Amino acid sequence: MSRSGTATVPVGAIRAEHIWKRFRPDRQRRRVADKLHQARRYLQGHRRPWSWALRDVGFALEPGESLGLVGTNGSGKSTLLKILTRVMYPHSGQVRVAGRVGALIEVAAGIHPELTGRENTYLYGTLLGLTRADVTRRFDDIVGFAELERAIDRQVKYYSSGMKMRLGFAVAAYLEPDVLLVDEVLSVGDASFQQRCLDRMREVLAGGTTLIYVSHDLPTVEATCRQGLWLHQGVLQAHGPVREVLDRYRRAVEERIEHTAGADDPVRLTSITCTGPDGAYVQSNEPLTVTMQLCSDTPAAAVLHLGICETPGHPILLLRRDLRLPAGSFPVTCVVEHLPLPRGSYSLWLSVSGHREFEGAGRKARALDLLRWGPVANLVVAGPELEPAPVGVVRAAPVLARTHWDHG
Amino acid sequence: MTALEGARRPQPPGAGPGTAEPAPVADTGTEAGLVVRGPANPPPEPPRHLRYRRHLHLWSALRELWGARHITRTLAERWILVRYKQAFLGIAWVVITPLLYMVAFSLLFQRVAKVDTGGVPYNLFVYVALLPWMLFSSSVGSGGTSLLTNIPLLNKVYCPREVFPISFVASAGVDFAISTGVLGLLFLIYRFPPAATAYWVPVLLGVLVMFTLGVTLIISALVVYVRDLRQMVPMLLQIGIFATPVAWKFSQLSEQGQVWYSLLNPLAPVIDGMRRCVLYGQAPRLVPLAVGAAAAAVWLLVGYVIFKRLETGIADVA
Repeated sequence: MSRSGTATVPVGAIRAEHIWKRFRPDRQRRRVADKLHQARRYLQGHRRPWSWALRDVGFALEPGESLGLVGTNGSGKSTLLKILTRVMYPHSGQVRVAGRVGALIEVAAGIHPELTGRENTYLYGTLLGLTRADVTRRFDDIVGFAELERAIDRQVKYYSSGMKMRLGFAVAAYLEPDVLLVDEVLSVGDASFQQRCLDRMREVLAGGTTLIYVSHDLPTVEATCRQGLWLHQGVLQAHGPVREVLDRYRRAVEERIEHTAGADDPVRLTSITCTGPDGAYVQSNEPLTVTMQLCSDTPAAAVLHLGICETPGHPILLLRRDLRLPAGSFPVTCVVEHLPLPRGSYSLWLSVSGHREFEGAGRKARALDLLRWGPVANLVVAGPELEPAPVGVVRAAPVLARTHWDHG
Repeated sequence: MTALEGARRPQPPGAGPGTAEPAPVADTGTEAGLVVRGPANPPPEPPRHLRYRRHLHLWSALRELWGARHITRTLAERWILVRYKQAFLGIAWVVITPLLYMVAFSLLFQRVAKVDTGGVPYNLFVYVALLPWMLFSSSVGSGGTSLLTNIPLLNKVYCPREVFPISFVASAGVDFAISTGVLGLLFLIYRFPPAATAYWVPVLLGVLVMFTLGVTLIISALVVYVRDLRQMVPMLLQIGIFATPVAWKFSQLSEQGQVWYSLLNPLAPVIDGMRRCVLYGQAPRLVPLAVGAAAAAVWLLVGYVIFKRLETGIADVA
């Protein structure tokens, strides 16, 4: 046990040190035959292996800070949240979360389907440690935020999934927890509700609540959180300023896609280089030259798409060119005259699609995919940093524009 | 582990931490404010000294439970609401269930088995015994699965988990109070006044509640781990009503037998005592009651300790 485990922490602070958590991978199988089989193997000395969901994860948050938790599916994000809510206990390590924890985990926020929205609100408030009077004071805000004025006295089982989610978020976010944990909810609501959720998270943060936000929607993570934490297979990969952590996470996701992209495509990219002005490094608002060497098995009429991505696979900029590819090697050069990107690290994605005449070659099903959409190069841009957006404002992609302002 | 390599890719020239404030963690990484994992994997297992130990002290657990009394109350209210909201006859079921049992037992035992009730109407004889039994069986029946049926809630909010079974016992207690009102009506109907010795009832209820809580706590925690119990509990309760002197007289056992039976089934001296003090104007028989009370106290204590032990892993298997 660490010595600091006895120190007091301010309300709203989170301390997690060396968190380990394990599960039996096949817990779900509860049939008698399985049990007998397991029992026999157990007696024979075979112990089912544990699988570690979290391995040595540690971080600290001060009251009022915001942390975005990212990672691929199964990386341990939800397990970590459950441990922070004290719903689950770690195998090893120390966790301290000071104050009331409001959690919006698992979208099915319908706390009890038989009860009405009103009853659920009071129930949840009591569970959070509030008195009835506390809940009553905030009740109108909750109902207003969730837009459930007419449905609040209806049983939650008759709610649509969107209504449940709105109620769940409103209850969790308006009952003034000291720590608010939000797991992957905004993806369910419509755009206007998403924006209001982000606004509310910003308000809550401004009120001194500590926020941990889990999402695969990286732009909203970046818009909401100052810090980022990236988990991969239960291991902490990076923790720090959100932009840098997300950059690293995006690069890692891309590398994985690169590995899965096949080399058996009919058109291959043999080399690619990105250069800035006069062959120097790439700079904002300056020309970018992309030089590619393509190699095709057969002559083909093709369309080339070149994208610059920040979020893997989702280009900020997409360029298109029709080509007649001969058999063999073929150079392509593309010049973007004023690269409208701020400083940062991006990736180039490329695809080549064929025209109909390729179908004759008997590759009907995939005839149109000559080179599958995938990352082909890193693009590191030097230049001015983008102006920071206000917290809660989601910037889908960073674009830099030359501006002139006039003031009265 | 290709994703890991991503963390070591070259950074854009001059890409510092930008506008972000320094992270509060000790900086072991390459850049200011950013902590990056080192090239080494964490060990396959955590070192032993890091092992998380939940410090469970009975006293602090009880204090926490006391702190959660509002939650228990709210939950109990909810269960009462939920249970009868959907039913056509609603809250009337609280009364109907024991009355139906009473009628069934009268038909079966009074006509067939001929239990000698010593001048007390058989219906009263059975109903007085059914009240504590119903409290026990509905607590164990619904409270026993309380954790299982509330898993969505358990996975969201932290509170001492025993508030779930306890709130079910509390809501069964409300049912108990309502059906006691019906007992008053029965007294009127049969023109049979309750005996003055009824002041023993609180003592008997104390034993009853201890035993009920103990059994409910154990079962509710075990059911999460061994789901088979969920099917077994209703069956065991069906058998239990015959293993408890509800339809028969406890004094049909020998003196010695009553003492041993009370050790196994603390409900027996409670029910016998209820009959004696409410219907016959006698004091409960102290030796079986004391044995039953001791057994019930052990059930409660052991039940609570087992519950708190098992509680730690509930979210893992839920």
